[in-house]
Amino acid sequence: MDNLYQAIFKGMAPMAKTAVQESLDKGKTPQGIIDESMIPAMEAIGQEFEAGRVFVPNLLLSARAMKSALDILKPLMLAGQTTTIGTVVIGTVKGDLHDIGKNLVASMLEGRGFKVINLGTDVSKERFIEAAKENNADIICLSALLTTTMDYMKEVVDAVRADGLNVKVMVGGAPLNQEFADGIGADGYSSNANEAVVVAKKLLS
Amino acid sequence: MVEKAFRISPDEVSEKEIWFAMGYKDSAPDERVREMALAVRDELVPKATLRYIYQVVEAEKLSPRQVRFAGKTFTPEGIICSYLKGMTHALLFIGTAGWEYDRAKEELKANGDIVADFIADSIGSVLAEMTVSRMEKEYDGPGPLSMPYSPGYCNWDIREQHLLFSLFPERPCGVILSESSLMTPEKSVSGFFALGETLQRQPYHCQICRNTRCYKRRNA
Repeated sequence: MDNLYQAIFKGMAPMAKTAVQESLDKGKTPQGIIDESMIPAMEAIGQEFEAGRVFVPNLLLSARAMKSALDILKPLMLAGQTTTIGTVVIGTVKGDLHDIGKNLVASMLEGRGFKVINLGTDVSKERFIEAAKENNADIICLSALLTTTMDYMKEVVDAVRADGLNVKVMVGGAPLNQEFADGIGADGYSSNANEAVVVAKKLLS
Repeated sequence: MVEKAFRISPDEVSEKEIWFAMGYKDSAPDERVREMALAVRDELVPKATLRYIYQVVEAEKLSPRQVRFAGKTFTPEGIICSYLKGMTHALLFIGTAGWEYDRAKEELKANGDIVADFIADSIGSVLAEMTVSRMEKEYDGPGPLSMPYSPGYCNWDIREQHLLFSLFPERPCGVILSESSLMTPEKSVSGFFALGETLQRQPYHCQICRNTRCYKRRNA
């Protein structure tokens, strides 16, 4: 595995910056760097997390390293022919101010090739729909930590369906489960940030 | 009504509690994460002023689901009520890690470091819980005290926060309650201890609660 892979897997942001510049200097394309080093590293740390061998801080460290590398590549990507897997609008639903898990999912999605529009916390159904339209989103991701705010997810799903928007809706958050997601008519559910990427990819396939 | 504000030193916030709040149940983080966490603790905790307010009111158990505190009927539901046998009074409380901590945490967050943000969030949870343990320790009225119980846990509807707050002055300890029952500063806690000479102290919440979907659930 190359230096960039190692830097992201180990969550070393300064090392990741150096390594991504080295890869560019060698003539690699931004998309090639992302596909060959960065995404595999994020997949690997995600699998470690799923297996219980690393914890949330390790995932966050890797996501931070990934972001620092992406910050170098993004300007080049905008100017080049690089494409994203899909566009995701993500936010914590109205009434809920918790955003750590949501931000982790956003970082993991971004790290795995999605364009992510992060709306923050306390987001209304109108704002989700507006952002999805503005950005021609493929997926809306809803997050909630509280049992009292998770019910608002149904309102968002219903509003999206009523609007006729051609977009998938994914939900996640500690108090949720698959049964709840199915009950409110969501297209996808994940119990953690790594699985969220897998589900998002599946929804687009 | 008893109200208190106090400050603590970073080393009063135990590593064990921080690791638990960060998701390390029976383990500890590697050295790098540990150093980062302790650096955040050492930076933020000295900025915090913790606060609590409490009052002791007459209380009675009305039914297997309901209680009355200071003349108002609450519905903490069956799990909590089953542990209130012998309750004659209740200590109603609100505690907070405070606006100062909230602001310090937001400043840290503005730097865009998601790892530090996560650590600061976890430490804030520990601080909020510390207000309750400090209150319990300093309480010198009649007892014994039960475990603390809070709206939002053990099937107690979080919307009863509004009923609880109605028994306190406006913005107790500076805490604001939103329409959707969220407290700001975010790292705040509220609830009650039951009091009664014959009251038996029961195990921790998660050992008595069957709500497996609670995000605060600890391995019982």
